[in-house]
Amino acid sequence: MNIFTEILRGIWESSGFSALEWKNTVMIGVSFVFLFLAIHPKLRFEPLLLVPIAFGILMANMPNTGLMADPAGLMDETQKIAGAHWYNDGVLRLIYAGVKSSVFPCLIFLGIGAMTDFGPLLANPISLLLGAAAQLGIYVAFVVAILLGFTPAEAASIAIIGGADGPTAILVATRLAGHLLAPIALAAYSYMALIPLIQPPLMRLLTTEKERKVEMKQLRKVSKAEKIIFPVVVFVVVALLLPDAAPLIGFLMIGNLFKECGATDRLSDTAQNALTNIVTIMLGITVGATANGQDFLRLKTILIVALGLAAFAFSTIGGLLLGKLLYLVTRGRINPLIGAAGVSAVPMAARVAQTQGRRYNPKNFLLMHAMGPNVAGVIGSAVAAGFLLMMFGS
Amino acid sequence: MPLFILDPAGPMPISQALLVAMAGILTVLAELGVITLMILLLSKIIRAVAAKLSPPQPEPVSDPIPAPQAEPLPAGESQGTLTLEGVDEPTAAVIMAIVSHQSGIPLNRLRFLSIKEVEDPSA
Repeated sequence: MNIFTEILRGIWESSGFSALEWKNTVMIGVSFVFLFLAIHPKLRFEPLLLVPIAFGILMANMPNTGLMADPAGLMDETQKIAGAHWYNDGVLRLIYAGVKSSVFPCLIFLGIGAMTDFGPLLANPISLLLGAAAQLGIYVAFVVAILLGFTPAEAASIAIIGGADGPTAILVATRLAGHLLAPIALAAYSYMALIPLIQPPLMRLLTTEKERKVEMKQLRKVSKAEKIIFPVVVFVVVALLLPDAAPLIGFLMIGNLFKECGATDRLSDTAQNALTNIVTIMLGITVGATANGQDFLRLKTILIVALGLAAFAFSTIGGLLLGKLLYLVTRGRINPLIGAAGVSAVPMAARVAQTQGRRYNPKNFLLMHAMGPNVAGVIGSAVAAGFLLMMFGS
Repeated sequence: MPLFILDPAGPMPISQALLVAMAGILTVLAELGVITLMILLLSKIIRAVAAKLSPPQPEPVSDPIPAPQAEPLPAGESQGTLTLEGVDEPTAAVIMAIVSHQSGIPLNRLRFLSIKEVEDPSA
């Protein structure tokens, strides 16, 4: 009878129920909400990212599973157990090495590069300035985060949410403030999904109806040679001026060269599809797995979410204001709405500019014009990340 | 070379944070400005080279007897007869209007011969 009781006690103590804390329960609930938002046919908020992230949160908050355990102390010295080897680490912890080492964000950028057509940007190079102005939110959020008492490295990691670029936010947060990675990644991807709700009110607030109705003239045809030389030139310029931005820009541009050069179609196809899908799965699950209830449910998380929203809003405002300036300088030839697409969420932000433009002028077709600032935003946010890494990276 | 320029963990006065923010936005603007100039320069060079390499266009042959001018069609009408294959009339009208709008050529200067529905092999 005594042995039977011991067995029952052993089963109970080794089960997840005995170690389940309220914080884990809350996070499990959060993961269910995210799964609902991602899967429900009427919502479908960034399902390709939100499903793996949500399931990663669910996995990480199941107690006693050891999925993110690090007995070898590869990433967390405090968990180190004498004699443990790297292969004793939890499976998610091992995959997480791809995030920690910046391999996954760079590979995602390779895929983005292979999917991106820089033609609209080359046809209208002024778009690059809109992509730069739409990084304003990063710096506004940085100052506000410092005011709220975050360290400079933490403030920089939070501020990069304003770049509206998931892989960039993950790379900067991993390098500068790894303990804040989960809330930063979740905020970045959530706000990217919510762009159709965040941007239109700001667009209406900052532009007049006359400006929103502006029809832009058709873009010139860009030659193949320009498209091939562009990624090489951008990488050389950025890597020489700001070496810290070289990993992101380098992978973005080699992916684009695969697409444009015409001699590497198989590599381009792999980068666009198989590789991006594989890395997205691993990145999503392991980023979600960092959202452990004990680390995630803190006041700092709420502040990060609020600062991320402010960063996003100010980035949109920066793009719109420069758009208005260009509208004045060009005497009404540039529709300021395309400035909002300078936040780099591709192609969501460009689609929002198109929808808003069409709403006020059904004949308007802004999508290709907005794609210029949109892809410029990807370069702009990578440069902004390089600047912050140069300032605070160690 | 220092590992970092500013202390990432220590307290930062707001004045310094403002300076960092200003330097940051100026860096992004300057770097993307340089790329803008590079693109403009590059496209000029490429177009100049392409213009040099392309074979000279033949001189347009002047016709001593000018061809009779066709009667201008009323605005909104297209020339000739149109064959529709698997496309109804309202859809054809929409397609013609889009082609006219996108190409910037008035409908009465366009000639449509046929509009045929094509099966999408990937569907």
